[in-house]
Amino acid sequence: MQTEIVHSPGNAAARVQLDAGETITAEGGSMIALGGEVTLQTSTHQKGKGGLLKAAKRWLGGESFFLNHYTAGGAGGEVWLAQTLPGDMMKLALDGQTLVVQAGSFVACSSGVGMEVGWQGFKNFLSGESLFWLRIGGTGKLILSSYGAIYPVQVNGEYIVDTGHIVAFEETLQFKLSKAGKSWWSSILGGEGLVCKFQGQGIVWCQSHNAPSFGFAIGSKLRSR
Amino acid sequence: MNQQTTEYEYRVAAQPDFSFLTVRLQPEQTIKVEASAMATMDTNLRMKTKMRGGLGRLITGESLFINEFTAQSGPGEIGIAPGAPGDLDHVYLENDTIFLQNTAYVASSPAVTIETKWQGFVKGFFSGESLFLIKCSGQGDLWFNTFGGMIAIDVNGSYTVDTGHVVAFTSGLEYRVGRIGGYKSLFFSGEGLVCHFSGTGRLWIQTRKIGAFSNWVYPYRPQGRD
Repeated sequence: MQTEIVHSPGNAAARVQLDAGETITAEGGSMIALGGEVTLQTSTHQKGKGGLLKAAKRWLGGESFFLNHYTAGGAGGEVWLAQTLPGDMMKLALDGQTLVVQAGSFVACSSGVGMEVGWQGFKNFLSGESLFWLRIGGTGKLILSSYGAIYPVQVNGEYIVDTGHIVAFEETLQFKLSKAGKSWWSSILGGEGLVCKFQGQGIVWCQSHNAPSFGFAIGSKLRSR
Repeated sequence: MNQQTTEYEYRVAAQPDFSFLTVRLQPEQTIKVEASAMATMDTNLRMKTKMRGGLGRLITGESLFINEFTAQSGPGEIGIAPGAPGDLDHVYLENDTIFLQNTAYVASSPAVTIETKWQGFVKGFFSGESLFLIKCSGQGDLWFNTFGGMIAIDVNGSYTVDTGHVVAFTSGLEYRVGRIGGYKSLFFSGEGLVCHFSGTGRLWIQTRKIGAFSNWVYPYRPQGRD
């Protein structure tokens, strides 16, 4: 499987070239084009990995209920993937490690990669962010997307990221959700809501922009529903 | 920096996210430009507004008018900004035909004929775009734009594109609207309907689609009082 990302960082798209028999599992609605001999199967789960309950949790986590599996026939083929919002994509090769991925950033993974949904507690709900994050691990390829540009931060010790700016982080990092200011009052009035305080060693991939902030900025200029 | 075609000298700035086209006209040379796309021009350029494509374009919502700019008594430059932020491409037509998605037209030589082509109800209605395509034919330059990045694909055989991501294709390609996968995929894949292209030619697609973006914005509208 060869992946190439074009038009970074503004309007990125990923081209995934599949050899005969290879499968890529993609988020519903992310396919923009496909060529060669590629067939699509839609299901609530990855092959041999969980079922409806997992799908329901994924859906609550802001991902789609269904997953699309694109499989290349004998002649091979290619699949183009992209997200709705302007922004970047990144590809990662997982080699046994696990990432925690912000809901909505998952685009696609190869068949050796598994996905689970983790509950982040009620605190996160207050910040208007998703209640769930995805835990993605295994061995294989992973494609993620961001709103705005993606930049990696190597954490060595402690680091704070606003929850709306996290794309993914390595599971080796400990994290704690906390308020941005000293009091809840200043955190909410200051518009920062919740932040994620990381501890340890590992990489956090951040996104330069926060999609809901953009949504509220445009939405308030539109006529009411 | 400037590129040269047999007719014009031009340059494209700020690709791929905010492409902006500048064309240099020789004395008495004319260029056709999509209505309202002119951003800047030299004072010796004269604009003439022409109705193009007849009733078709009126129905499609694409502007009915194309403006013609002519440089008078000396050369002059025109800056052209497509409506959507995105990429821009140029092709030189040599008595061949390119079909553009409804909003993709930016500018062309006067010798290029711009017509609307009825796609047929089934194709047009389900393609996720309008009922019409813009047919560009003849000999000369043609510029067109996308929302998001542009990807050119040389098709020899078949290629499938999600409706709404098609920007342009050459006349050697035919398409039909259909589904991919089984009926379960049709309803649950989130991919909906697709355009199946076949034949030999070039296809241009865009990495974003404006309909999906406006659907994303919709829930952020304020709640009505009633």
